[in-house]
Amino acid sequence: MKKVLSPVWRLGALSLVPLAFASGRVEAADVRHGTDVFAQECAECHSVREGKNKKGPSLFAVAGRKAAIVADVAYSDAMKASGIVWTPAALDAYIANPRKAVPGGKMKYDGLADAKDREDLLAYLGSLK
Amino acid sequence: MRIGFRLASATRKVAFALGSLALLCAGMPSAHAVPSFARQTGQDCAACHVGAYGPQLTPYGVKFKIGGYTDTDGKEGKLPLSGMVVAAFTRTAKDQQDPPADHTHRNNNLALEEASLFLAGRLSDKVGAFVQATYDGIEQRSSLDHADVRLAHTLELGGKETVLGLTVNNNPGVQDPFNTLPTWGFPYAGPALGFGGGDAATLFNGGLEHRVLGASAYAFVDNSLYAELGTYRSLSPAVQSRSGQGRDEDIGRLGGNTAYWRLAWLQDWKKQNLSLGLFGFNANIQPERLGGAPTNKYRDLGVDASYQFLGTREHVGTLYTSFIRERQTRNDLVLNGGADKRAGTLNEFRINASYYYLQTWGLSVGRFATRGNRDASLYGEGYANGSPNTSGSVLQADWTPWGKEDSWGAPWANLRLGVQYTLFDKFNGARRNYDGNGRDAKDNDTLFLFAWTSF
Repeated sequence: MKKVLSPVWRLGALSLVPLAFASGRVEAADVRHGTDVFAQECAECHSVREGKNKKGPSLFAVAGRKAAIVADVAYSDAMKASGIVWTPAALDAYIANPRKAVPGGKMKYDGLADAKDREDLLAYLGSLK
Repeated sequence: MRIGFRLASATRKVAFALGSLALLCAGMPSAHAVPSFARQTGQDCAACHVGAYGPQLTPYGVKFKIGGYTDTDGKEGKLPLSGMVVAAFTRTAKDQQDPPADHTHRNNNLALEEASLFLAGRLSDKVGAFVQATYDGIEQRSSLDHADVRLAHTLELGGKETVLGLTVNNNPGVQDPFNTLPTWGFPYAGPALGFGGGDAATLFNGGLEHRVLGASAYAFVDNSLYAELGTYRSLSPAVQSRSGQGRDEDIGRLGGNTAYWRLAWLQDWKKQNLSLGLFGFNANIQPERLGGAPTNKYRDLGVDASYQFLGTREHVGTLYTSFIRERQTRNDLVLNGGADKRAGTLNEFRINASYYYLQTWGLSVGRFATRGNRDASLYGEGYANGSPNTSGSVLQADWTPWGKEDSWGAPWANLRLGVQYTLFDKFNGARRNYDGNGRDAKDNDTLFLFAWTSF
């Protein structure tokens, strides 16, 4: 199933990996790969279903959302005070190294080092509307 | 619990009078799945368990256990209580000589195998527990089952995240976070009224379970290196009686030099993971509990490994193996006529693989082999040629409909239905006529249909 990115997220993803988004066909493949990356790296603690929080908040419509505003989630004080808005760049930095992006945060994840995996993951997250 | 050398050492003159009890215990399920952990963490069962059902742990589950069962989604009001019921139909290839337990038939037994209550989960920020009380539907008695209470603290050492912990438990191996050692090894449910293995087993393989109390300290460095060192003491017969174990199978007094150690390496690549480990268990047992009385010495040394392919969790494959070599010095047994030879060895090898589709449909296959030195007295009645050798295979197919993100009743309703078949190449020393009464190893082949639910 081909996912459609909003213009802002497409621009963000394109700015991260210009070549990867050179065509719509490649873009769709990246979203599909992003789905797999999500299943491998994130799905233990996050759902993409609206309103479904696991240990971490639902990532449905996370694109452009302010941090720490999902109801019924016990955020860390650090995340509440971060003032982050989940732009592609902010998400990319956070997923690459959560402890550096939000020192004192709760997420027990060492980070996703592979830039291409992160870009595909961002493409997938950006498609969740 | 399996008998063999350790039971013979403990109850020398009545070992085979307890034969039916031994067979009954030989396949007692090590089945444990605890939904209170899922409720506490907000996770699906599938996050911690391969096939969305315990006890086969993913790296996430390994870390949860090492972390002292304390991880949480931060919400209050979670009760660390769970329940579990296992019911099964058991059929052996040939009727058993006697009913395997009171109130059972020589074959084709349908039974409530066990019903358990768990105190399982976070008790404070750094203390958690997994304590199980079980009603054994076969023996029709209740007892304290597995118990593991932990204190864990996470800190940074040398820039590496490190968990330092203490565990107090009642069964060597129950605290281990990997599924390669006997306590949590495949098969995770087994036939209590059939045959899950031969009668001889190493001491580490359930020989002390629930009759000892131990403490060990552990460290888990950088989510990779696991090291543990601990010791055990035997419970007094009175305490064993109060905890429902009964006095009659008291294993005796453990010496002060009882030691358990474990080293393991976990490499978690998310899509797949690998563990390699070593472990050792040394114990001197004084069956008579008298000062100066002779002891039987056990020196168990093991090596284990596991591999899991998790991928996107649509197709999951696992492979586990372990080998335990036990050196026995049978001072008490020889003195009391329970064994001919003072020194002997007993080796156990296991390997098993599983595949799960959509964390729901599972196929598993395992191979087991126990081999040891011959001893006509130690392996007398019920054995052929004075040999403990047993080998065979286990096949299992199971269905786990719930335990995933969108499952009905999550995180309360959990169910696994399974069919398991155990085939023996050799049993208690021979392929044919191992008991001297014409019973062959293949006569013990066991069909086990089980329904295992937890809530």
